[in-house]
Amino acid sequence: MNSSALLLLITGLSVIAFITARQRAYIHGASSKLKSLPKHYGVLTALWSGIPALVLILSWMIFQPAYLHQQIIQSLPESITIKGEDSLSLYINTIDLAIANGEASDDPVIQKAILSFNDAEKKSRIILTILVLLLSLSGIIFGLTKKLLNSHARVGVEKVVKGFLALCSAVAIFTTVGIVLSVLFEALRFFESIPFTDFMFGTSWSPQTAIRSDQVGSSGSFGAIPLFVGTMLISAIAMLIAVPIGLLSAIYLSEYASARFRSIAKPALELLAGIPTVVYGFFAALSVAPFIRNVGESIGLSVASESALAAGIVMGVMIIPFVSSLSDDVITAVPQSMRDGSLGLGATKSETIKQVIIPAALPGIVGGVLLAASRAIGETMIVVMAAGMAAKMTANPLDAVTTVTVQIVTLLTGDQEFDSPKTLAAFALGLMLFLTTLILNVIALHIVRKYREQYE
Amino acid sequence: MNNTDIVKHGLKKRYAKEKRFQWYGRLAVLTGFVFLTLLLLDIIIKAMPAFQSTQILLDIPLDRETLELSTDATINKDTLSAINYDGLIKKSLSQLYPQVSKRNDRKQLYKLVSSGAEFSLREYIMKNPELISSNSEIPVLSIWLKADDDIDTFYKLQTKISRVSDRQVEFIDSLIQQQRIRTSFNTTFFTASDSREPEQAGIKGALLGSFWTLLVTLLISLPVGIGAAVYLEEFAPQNKITDFIEININNLAAVPSIVFGLLGLSVFINFFGMPRSVPLVGGLVLSLMTLPTIIISSRAAIKSVPPSIKEAALGIGASHMQTVFHHVLPLAMPGILTGTIIGMAQALGETAPLLMIGMVAFIVDVPGGVVDSATVLPVQIYLWSDSPERAFTALTAATILVLLAFLAIMNTLAIFLRKHFERRW
Amino acid sequence: MKKLVLAAAITTSLMTLQSQAAGRDTINIVGSSTVYPFATVVAEKFGKKTNFNTPKIESTGSGGGMKLFCAGVGLDTPDITNASRAIKKSEYDTCQKNGVTDITEVQIGYDGIAIANSIKAQNFSLTRKDLFLALAKKVPNPDGSKTLLENPYKTWKQVNSSLPDMEIEVIGPPPTSGTRDAFAELAMEGGCKEFNWIKAMKKTDKKAYKTVCHTVREDGPYIEAGENDNLIVQKLEKNPNALGIFGFSFLEQNDDKVQGSLVEGKSPEFATISDGSYPISRPLFFYVKNAHISSIPGMKEYLQEFTDEEAMGDDGYLLDKGLIPLSATDRSALRQSIIKGKKFTM
Repeated sequence: MNSSALLLLITGLSVIAFITARQRAYIHGASSKLKSLPKHYGVLTALWSGIPALVLILSWMIFQPAYLHQQIIQSLPESITIKGEDSLSLYINTIDLAIANGEASDDPVIQKAILSFNDAEKKSRIILTILVLLLSLSGIIFGLTKKLLNSHARVGVEKVVKGFLALCSAVAIFTTVGIVLSVLFEALRFFESIPFTDFMFGTSWSPQTAIRSDQVGSSGSFGAIPLFVGTMLISAIAMLIAVPIGLLSAIYLSEYASARFRSIAKPALELLAGIPTVVYGFFAALSVAPFIRNVGESIGLSVASESALAAGIVMGVMIIPFVSSLSDDVITAVPQSMRDGSLGLGATKSETIKQVIIPAALPGIVGGVLLAASRAIGETMIVVMAAGMAAKMTANPLDAVTTVTVQIVTLLTGDQEFDSPKTLAAFALGLMLFLTTLILNVIALHIVRKYREQYE
Repeated sequence: MNNTDIVKHGLKKRYAKEKRFQWYGRLAVLTGFVFLTLLLLDIIIKAMPAFQSTQILLDIPLDRETLELSTDATINKDTLSAINYDGLIKKSLSQLYPQVSKRNDRKQLYKLVSSGAEFSLREYIMKNPELISSNSEIPVLSIWLKADDDIDTFYKLQTKISRVSDRQVEFIDSLIQQQRIRTSFNTTFFTASDSREPEQAGIKGALLGSFWTLLVTLLISLPVGIGAAVYLEEFAPQNKITDFIEININNLAAVPSIVFGLLGLSVFINFFGMPRSVPLVGGLVLSLMTLPTIIISSRAAIKSVPPSIKEAALGIGASHMQTVFHHVLPLAMPGILTGTIIGMAQALGETAPLLMIGMVAFIVDVPGGVVDSATVLPVQIYLWSDSPERAFTALTAATILVLLAFLAIMNTLAIFLRKHFERRW
Repeated sequence: MKKLVLAAAITTSLMTLQSQAAGRDTINIVGSSTVYPFATVVAEKFGKKTNFNTPKIESTGSGGGMKLFCAGVGLDTPDITNASRAIKKSEYDTCQKNGVTDITEVQIGYDGIAIANSIKAQNFSLTRKDLFLALAKKVPNPDGSKTLLENPYKTWKQVNSSLPDMEIEVIGPPPTSGTRDAFAELAMEGGCKEFNWIKAMKKTDKKAYKTVCHTVREDGPYIEAGENDNLIVQKLEKNPNALGIFGFSFLEQNDDKVQGSLVEGKSPEFATISDGSYPISRPLFFYVKNAHISSIPGMKEYLQEFTDEEAMGDDGYLLDKGLIPLSATDRSALRQSIIKGKKFTM
């Protein structure tokens, strides 16, 4: 029996377990008092019969290929197995392909391997089927015992569910740990060749190290400060665009606009966030940047053709919806009583908004703005295309700058040797970026909590 | 001056302020729209050519002599696939212009037709082998075949491009006179997979890749996201661990997407040994990426269910779990689904993390499941935008339009859910 | 009832997740984004012509490709890696260490590196010395003393009086790119060597020599753009004052928008690049894991297709895509080495 059929079988058995256990609980409940509803006994029994069997099948699905390959290897003559693991895996691929195509092979060794594979597979399937059936049935039998009937079935079910829920929220921790672990080791290797202080406090970023060993090139310097300055500059420009436009749009849509206009305008603005960033990148590089350059030159300013301003503006447009949508939700959620109170005292609508609604909605707005800011910091493609890669320490928005994410992408997909400090720097940058956003978020959470208490 | 006078005095100013404020709001919304229209127009104008393709009508001689089949040879798959279809096309082009004899001119003539045309012809004949078996007269197959991408661009846009030589322009003019060239709707764009010939390239593979990837993302992030939101909002004890989880979730929402790519590379591919370039890994990475969005919006939705409903349920003896699953969750569902759809839309448009796990690849075979190699729509856009051939510009824009259409559909669905299931308290 | 539906949904999804553990029958290729456009054409033709699956080609960059390729022999490692540069010694050592001992190097042709500007502007005629003086971080003191100073040149005319009086503005690839690497080595070092005292440094202090010749200025005139060559072309079109550095195939596709500058009197064309008279071109490679040839179906045929006259010959379809072919003798030598599975050593 193959595994999908087995899964179906388990599902079927669980359904049977559910029905019989419930039935039994009904019968039992007629004579004596049950501690839970009959269906809870059904669910608990179904869980008992289903989950252990499911775990078994899943682990079998994971370990079976290894076991079968072990069987193949044992059937092979020593002359082949002695060659080492890697060439063995290639040899096994030949066998695997022959099995998948259902071909008989001329090579007696392979033919023998195929036979032993088929044999082992058949055996393991039979064993698995029997085991699964046993587990499932014993689960049902356990579910039908007196012991279970006398217990609080609902509490049991709820415990399982609660465990599952807790596991779900723990995924966030696993992810964080995974991220830290996946960048930490490479970052540490980077710090072996470049001192941590040089990286953290260096003011010059120029990874012009040689790509090949027969070239020497310059030593390259890996000071991350210019990258963070560039990131901040572009994000600041983006926020200068997105916050006023987004906030004013949100206010207009939630307080002034008719319901019909709002129902069209809000999703239309949200579409801005959905446009692939590659598109924004082209738009910034080919339309906005030359425009700014022409305007700048006509009034006598020197503008880099890849100015931070162009990338910042376009990025600002992209994150408008983050500010507007979230602020809109928060503003709508401000209780009507507060508006009525203010209007009742004779304030105009705009005064009400400015002096009552915005302060009340501030924590939520700050949350939205922070989310938008972190989008801006993490955005890659726009900056790759429009802002270039000149790592310059400058606060002049007409100059070219680069950002952390741009460097991560170019360093990781470049042509240089993978173990060079150049590639490893990407991991160090990733770690730094992760830590930066983490600190920002701790601060944000703190602020939001502090203010939220005042208004609830 | 009494108080009323002071108020009246200031009234005009205050009303003017009110008016001005309203106009600021209008202006802000308008600015957003202007940007949106600009972007959309830009894309649509660029995309238009991609939906048309130029075809050339050729008469392919199908007698056995030209096909180099002996008269008694049976027509089967093997003999058919062995035919030199490229030669057939060249022969029929030469027959159209018998006067062309110089080698260079012939080369230019042959380049009128797409280099993939021989495969379309082969496919057509393999499907209709009876075309050959009729022996009565010399059978000729009149078939519209795709033009080369440069010819295609030239004919559609009617502008001189340097890759089309003067000689080729003459050929095209004469084809127009003979009514042997036409444009028709480019079905290839929807039915074919990636190709290095723009006229043969399509998005089917990427579309299905996106489908499988999103399926995995949805199957993982929806239950886990709801579970986590319910736990944190309803069951989690107030302690340091809960705080830690909460900070983590907020932080993960802000982590640049490329970092998730690094995570996928080292955990799923290097540690668990999953294959590269498959939707399964892509979906896992994207679901980790969208989880925070789903959790945050689900929590907001659960929070907005009035406590009175919960209290009523608890009051008549429901357990906490029952209250949550029977009352709170169903009422919060529209909000949760909206958040999920927004998260999915985000996942649909994401490129950067997939860069790290090998989904930026040339894959021709259409993926049939979550463990087949595949690419996704935004990656296809990224790859095509970097191709030298000019005609890919239009294809890139057209793919963006398709992606936007899906985003619009998903957003509309979100609005629909919001509207029809939303309750006001 | 809902739970039943849910259970059924989960079961079906698990069933779709279930994979057939059946081995790999598709060639896996990784590597350089410069070789990608050529390798994909061959792969596509190969897939259509034969009954084998179309190979999967990832665009990872040469370095990332080498890392994957050298990780070991076996199914989960790639069979072929594309590279826009030759394999490095350290990479070769990693390969050896991980048991990837039997590899074959295949040079598929050349890629010219064009220096171009908008056709709306004047065509440039540059020498390598001009390029070095315009783009190096430190240049020899113009007063003739044998000292270096920070690059003082702002306009092309200052560099060479025969050039137009335009500000130096060159859009080119970042230091992580093989194109940039080749440009520094071929163009800038070529110009650098023309100063005899710097050339003399090569013998005395090779490291200093390379530093002088390869370091690109960072004060603005050289603008590092992303690796997207199309974008560079379009930027040049919008900005007639700028020059751009990118692959020859993009110049060829866009010669109604941009024009290639003459370098040492030669314009970038097929003929000049393949006979070597155009000085800035680099070889492109791929590396084959010979241990995989017997196990992965179609590898031999793929190699044949790639090296066939129809593909890389003087009239081959790769030329349409902008590859500069090897000479006929080199091609036949290459075919021999592939048939023999010539082992690459270093």
